[in-house]
Amino acid sequence: MNFALQLITAGLAVGSVYSLIALGIVLIYKCTGVVNFGQGGFLVLGAYLTYALRAAEIPTPLAVVGSAAGMAIVGMAAERLMLRPMARAPLVAIMMATLGMMILINAVCLMIWGSDQRAYPALFPDGALDMFGIFITYNYIAAGILSIGLSLGFLAFYRFTNLGLMQRCTANNTKAALAIGIHTGNQNCFAWSMSAALAGLGGTLLATLNGLSLGLGSIGLAAFSVVVLGGLDSLAGAVVAGLLLGVLQTLTAGMLTPILENFLRAYTSVYSVGALQQVVPYCLLVVILLVRPQGIFGRKGTERL
Amino acid sequence: MLRHLSPTIFAVLFTLALLFVIPWLDRYATYLLISVAIAAIGALALNLLTGMCGLINFAQGALMGVGAYTAGNLGNAGWDILAVPAAGFVTAIASLVIGLPALRLRGLYFGVATLAAQFIVDYLFKILEPITHGVSGLPIRQLRVLGIVIQNDRMFATVCVLSLLLAWWAMYRVKNTDLGRSFLVVREGEIVAKGMGIDVAHTKIWAFLISGFFAGIAGALLGFNARLADPEAFTLGLSVDYLAMIIVGGLGSLTGPLLGSLFVTLLPEAIQRVAESFGIASLLSALREFTFGLLIIVFLIFEPRGLSALFRKLMFQRDARNRKKASYLNNSTQQPQGEETK
Repeated sequence: MNFALQLITAGLAVGSVYSLIALGIVLIYKCTGVVNFGQGGFLVLGAYLTYALRAAEIPTPLAVVGSAAGMAIVGMAAERLMLRPMARAPLVAIMMATLGMMILINAVCLMIWGSDQRAYPALFPDGALDMFGIFITYNYIAAGILSIGLSLGFLAFYRFTNLGLMQRCTANNTKAALAIGIHTGNQNCFAWSMSAALAGLGGTLLATLNGLSLGLGSIGLAAFSVVVLGGLDSLAGAVVAGLLLGVLQTLTAGMLTPILENFLRAYTSVYSVGALQQVVPYCLLVVILLVRPQGIFGRKGTERL
Repeated sequence: MLRHLSPTIFAVLFTLALLFVIPWLDRYATYLLISVAIAAIGALALNLLTGMCGLINFAQGALMGVGAYTAGNLGNAGWDILAVPAAGFVTAIASLVIGLPALRLRGLYFGVATLAAQFIVDYLFKILEPITHGVSGLPIRQLRVLGIVIQNDRMFATVCVLSLLLAWWAMYRVKNTDLGRSFLVVREGEIVAKGMGIDVAHTKIWAFLISGFFAGIAGALLGFNARLADPEAFTLGLSVDYLAMIIVGGLGSLTGPLLGSLFVTLLPEAIQRVAESFGIASLLSALREFTFGLLIIVFLIFEPRGLSALFRKLMFQRDARNRKKASYLNNSTQQPQGEETK
């Protein structure tokens, strides 16, 4: 039982980071109708920026904020240079362009930092907290608290501020937003920069948990299962689904995999199930898409001609 | 000019010319020819699904993997050339399974579903050791055609070029049938298609089967060429390469996938030459990725209709008047592709 609780707490911490990344994707989708497959690129770049800033002896809080700010600029540039010129392009083209952006960002990281796994500088003190027999390292606690705090802060920002209101307005009905004098182009740009900054923070936090390498970007794609699970247009859904997925992954790695492997070794010639926890999000995704394509919290859209 | 030649005759002549040239090619050129021919078959397959029917498929890499593993196992069991079409059929079934959600999902959601399928199939390649030999990969024996072992690259190149001709011709035929036209209508709007009495589910199923069949053939040839099928070769990266080919080439056209595969396959080679001459070979893979990503974006922004549209412009700007006349005579094959995608 303790073991399961241990796994669940770790899962919640990782899941909260997923939520943060998924929030970024939902934000862009709501505001601009574009699905950003390149979120993984933002993730990696953000993590490497923090790494570079830390390597330049800049104190941790400043480094994290600096990397988020840098990512905001990158996101803005992506919107201005890439998305805006192809505003009227078909969906396939835009999806592909965001993938192209991810390839581009990965290549830049590869050029500058190489392909080796890097030891990530310790952003948080070492050690673990003993909570009723459950041990959690400070890394996990910090990642969990920071990303939940950020997610909540972000949701509050959307609910209670003027800028958030304008963002929601643009997302809800672009034409109406234009009619009441909102500069929707700027709003889109803002959404992209916020999203990139969130992804950058998520990347930094993930790197403190798993170490830093270019492979981190694949989590940007796994975040899609979170987004679809929660509903593409639901910010709150993304948060809940992220936590759910994190827990599911750690439980799979810790409990399901050994059971399954024992079973398979006994009855078949398959010896190992490999990294099952990395596939679980996608299996879940397929199921969700078949059962409830609009996600848990999403609304079913009507189709127009 | 070229316009007055029937595309089929032109393709056959072109293939004959290629076959004639093959004995004089050196090793490297043969290798390039094989790579381009296989890529072109795969790109034609994906183009049918994504370009013509409008279904975004991120699982092309996985499908080609299914083809390679099937062909490998059958080839090792002594199936001769039959291993290749058999791989096509198995992959067509796999493609149908992956595509079944498409009957409920559309656009973006379908794209995400195929993305999931790519990862799941890739994972299966790694763990189904009895069939796939896991991460170490499945060694494949040389391809045999009617009892003759294909021993050298030139013979294999001949097989590939002939397969490409067949694949292209099949696509060309399909495009001008009722089915091919209903693909285009489904792409433009499913509700419109329904309104016109097209059975959308039926149309999509055929798109998956045909596309899967040729993806499997491309995968089989890839396997026989590398003599090894390993999971690392059939990742999302391969899917993205193929999507890039059809986009750079021009979605929905028949010349597009050919030009796109030529471009995407030869680009890394060209970059390698440039990088070597500048003495920056260490940056090679990064440079290749960088150019690749940049080109995708640049093409999408500045020439969304791809190389085939550019090609058409360059080729036919001289006889603009003739073009008008020819388009009357040969309306079904000559309309500019991809314009409808806007």
